Amino acid sequence: MSLRRHPVAGALALVVVGFLWIPILAVAVNSINQSSLMVSWGGATVHWYSLALHDPNVRTGLTTTIEIALGSTLVSLVIAVSGALWWRRAPARARAVYDAMVYARIILPEVVFATALFFLFLKARFPLGILAIIVGHSVWNSAYAAVIIQARLVGLDPAIEEAAADLGATPWRAFRRVTFAALLPAIIAGGLLTFTFSFDDVVTSYFLGGNSATPLPLVLFGMIRFRITPEINAIGVMVMLFTVTLMGVAVAASTLVGSVGRGRRDALAELYGQ
Amino acid sequence: MLAPTAPSGLRADSGHAAGLRHLLVVPTAVWTLAFFVLPLGLVTVFSFGTENLITFNVSFGWTASNYAAFGSALYLSTLLRSVALSLGTTAACAFLGFPLAFFISSQRPRVQRLLLAGVIVPFWTSFLVRTYSWVNLLQIDGPADRLAHGLTGHHLQILYSPRSIAVGMVYSYLPLMVLPIYVALERISPDLYAAAADLGARPWRQFRRVVFPLARPGLIAGVIIVGVPAMGEYVIPEILGGGKTLMVGNIIVGQYLDVGDYPFGSALAVSLMVILMIMLFALRRVQPAVEAS
Amino acid sequence: MNGESSVRLSGVEKRFGDLVAVRSVDLDIAAGEFFSVIGPSGCGKTTTLRLIAGFERPTQGMIEIAGREVTGLPPYRRPVNTVFQSYALFPHLDVFENVAFGLREARVRRAELRRRVAEAISLAQLDGRERAKPRQLSGGQQQRVALARALVNRPEVLLLDEPLGALDLKLRKEMQVQLKDLQREVGVTFVYVTHDQEEAFSMSDRVAVMDHGLLEQVGRPEDVYRRPATPFVASFVGLANRLAGRLVGAAPGERYEVDLDHLGRRSAHGPPGLAAGAAVTVVVRPEDLRLAPATGPQAGPAAATVIDVAFLGAHRMVRLDAGALGQLVAIGQGQSTVVPDDKVVLSWADDDAWVVAAAAQP
Repeated sequence: MSLRRHPVAGALALVVVGFLWIPILAVAVNSINQSSLMVSWGGATVHWYSLALHDPNVRTGLTTTIEIALGSTLVSLVIAVSGALWWRRAPARARAVYDAMVYARIILPEVVFATALFFLFLKARFPLGILAIIVGHSVWNSAYAAVIIQARLVGLDPAIEEAAADLGATPWRAFRRVTFAALLPAIIAGGLLTFTFSFDDVVTSYFLGGNSATPLPLVLFGMIRFRITPEINAIGVMVMLFTVTLMGVAVAASTLVGSVGRGRRDALAELYGQ
Repeated sequence: MLAPTAPSGLRADSGHAAGLRHLLVVPTAVWTLAFFVLPLGLVTVFSFGTENLITFNVSFGWTASNYAAFGSALYLSTLLRSVALSLGTTAACAFLGFPLAFFISSQRPRVQRLLLAGVIVPFWTSFLVRTYSWVNLLQIDGPADRLAHGLTGHHLQILYSPRSIAVGMVYSYLPLMVLPIYVALERISPDLYAAAADLGARPWRQFRRVVFPLARPGLIAGVIIVGVPAMGEYVIPEILGGGKTLMVGNIIVGQYLDVGDYPFGSALAVSLMVILMIMLFALRRVQPAVEAS
Repeated sequence: MNGESSVRLSGVEKRFGDLVAVRSVDLDIAAGEFFSVIGPSGCGKTTTLRLIAGFERPTQGMIEIAGREVTGLPPYRRPVNTVFQSYALFPHLDVFENVAFGLREARVRRAELRRRVAEAISLAQLDGRERAKPRQLSGGQQQRVALARALVNRPEVLLLDEPLGALDLKLRKEMQVQLKDLQREVGVTFVYVTHDQEEAFSMSDRVAVMDHGLLEQVGRPEDVYRRPATPFVASFVGLANRLAGRLVGAAPGERYEVDLDHLGRRSAHGPPGLAAGAAVTVVVRPEDLRLAPATGPQAGPAAATVIDVAFLGAHRMVRLDAGALGQLVAIGQGQSTVVPDDKVVLSWADDDAWVVAAAAQP
């Protein structure tokens, strides 16, 4: 169909995709740029990388971030998987409430969550810090994970559990060997996605970190606001490589190990909740 | 909507298994109630209180004075600016994103994968770093400025202004617009294009009468997923606004963490939520609530 | 049929890269004809249909519709409409709007549009369902909407791509009758692609058999069945008993003399132009193969043992092990007395035998 191959759309598409990559390339280039002003090229150097890797703030920030991301991922997956399994056989009304809650947690701006939780912890005299951040992240992370896992669960043919029962598996074994095994790619994908979101998060961490916890994004944020040094670019490149790798694995897990007949579109639809 | 319907074959359930199954919803229920519903409720309640800014004691006079403060020019203009930036970002994302999504969906599968990766991978990188990169790119004597100067002879003085915030926001939110539109377009069977052509529709008419109506739910989903969070954006205006151009998100953070006026901050947060809910309702009206997949 | 050409393909070829989907097809379909194209999967019948519709451009050759060349024209400029295998109903439009789609594109005026759509919906027996969306309709109803949507535009030619494939047997049979009646009533040329031979034969004025992109034979159903032109058609169309032999020569009354392996000389009808000495196959249709109980102990060359008897409703189908002649099939009421393991003697009338060139060895 000639409609689908319009040359104008093609040119525009490539320009837009290029536009999406320019800042990333700029960061990468500047991370090895000797000139600290970052407006011109001063020769290549790895000075910024070594600076970043030796910076104590960065190192603490990294460990803090990883702790938070792991904690939040674990909690989010527990919430998401249990919720999805319940949802399968839940009555319509309850489902509607559950769906609305998931939707709300994804759509609502983070600022609203963060301030509300900050306030709650303040009043309940709950200490701010790593634990508080994990709680905060889990509230919205669990929603993203829930969407992915639920989509996968719904796509499973219910007959496979019946087939397992027919072949002699008790409900628990049927669940473990069939349903859970089929869910695993979605769990992995969801887990990696939530890890990445936690890893990158600024607003919730800002509010709930208090004085004790400064995850890496906040270290970066501070550096950006107060002392702009090219070290930021080096940190940025390393962080970006890390998260891209994680997400790449997540996508590979959910599409390659996906059930027969489901294509990339469906996997994306899962990730996107459509 | 968001969650697809489950096959009906899974409804039947035996007695004690059903009881056990109810336990499954506990984690979600506890977490959502304790850390989502409760805090939001708390904030709403407190938005009607007043605070002594010296002793930080909050008292309940059930006053709406916090909301009345919106009338002040400063806050009103900030609110309007936020709405304008959000709408502008959404519109720009829609105009750039729809053709892009359409182009991608009409390519061969291998090319589609490549293009989608090109759109999604930037999304996976630290958006903090990418936003910061724009500071570099847009500053005086930076690459964008040099380009503009070379082409038009003028300097591009847009850093630390609403326009640079707009650039940053469009940049960050574009993938969020492209994906749901792409998914909706992908679902359209190629036979439908053929049928429309067969019945006499030229390419533009095919688009208008068949493709766009069927892609519209995706567009609306994109508008929601971009427009709503954009209203509450904090990081981008903070970095690209240079601390001087404020959106609602910045004010809320400022009130809570710098000033400490919790009731006022709460009122702002609640107002933001209300505005967003109104937006959501309006948008859901435009599309039927349940779209049969 | 008034003899005018409705669709003409001249030397049409379609390549997809290295794959030749349609090779050098010459076809002339008369106006008002019900014309079917059958063949195995991948034979090019759907591609041919798409070439007529305009969804594909031929690599070579010319396509004319109602005497006008349309080879370079896109589908929306051809006086042709298609009923798709998947129906391709627009999910966001109701029945009325689906049917009206083409008329709106042609900017037909409101009053006339309403009238024609109502008429088409009535013809398709969908009165009362104008506001329904496609997903609310049954398969059969969707199929009729697709039909109405195409016919309401009064095309020169209606193309149907396996339209009944998704329906169950009973519904399919009903629809076949309805389609045939509809075609007669409306008088539009139908070009019908299907893999169901029986369907094609029962509905069509003429049938084309395709294989690997080539037209093997075009003719009336009876001709294609009784007088297959090529070995492929002989084996593809219906069931066939194939007996190998060598052509001796022509015989009076448009016949040939054939020397059959194991069975000696017989005569048979055949297409003109077969050369003496050529390897040939004599085709005897199952309904023409006669069985008689074996009387004596000596097994003649035409002896066979019954393997099994299948009850097909109107007939019995008998599978036979005929020794050197291989496995043969006989169908007919006259076989009602045989049971498995019976010994029988085979025979047929010369008039019912048809000879074709032997198929090239695969």
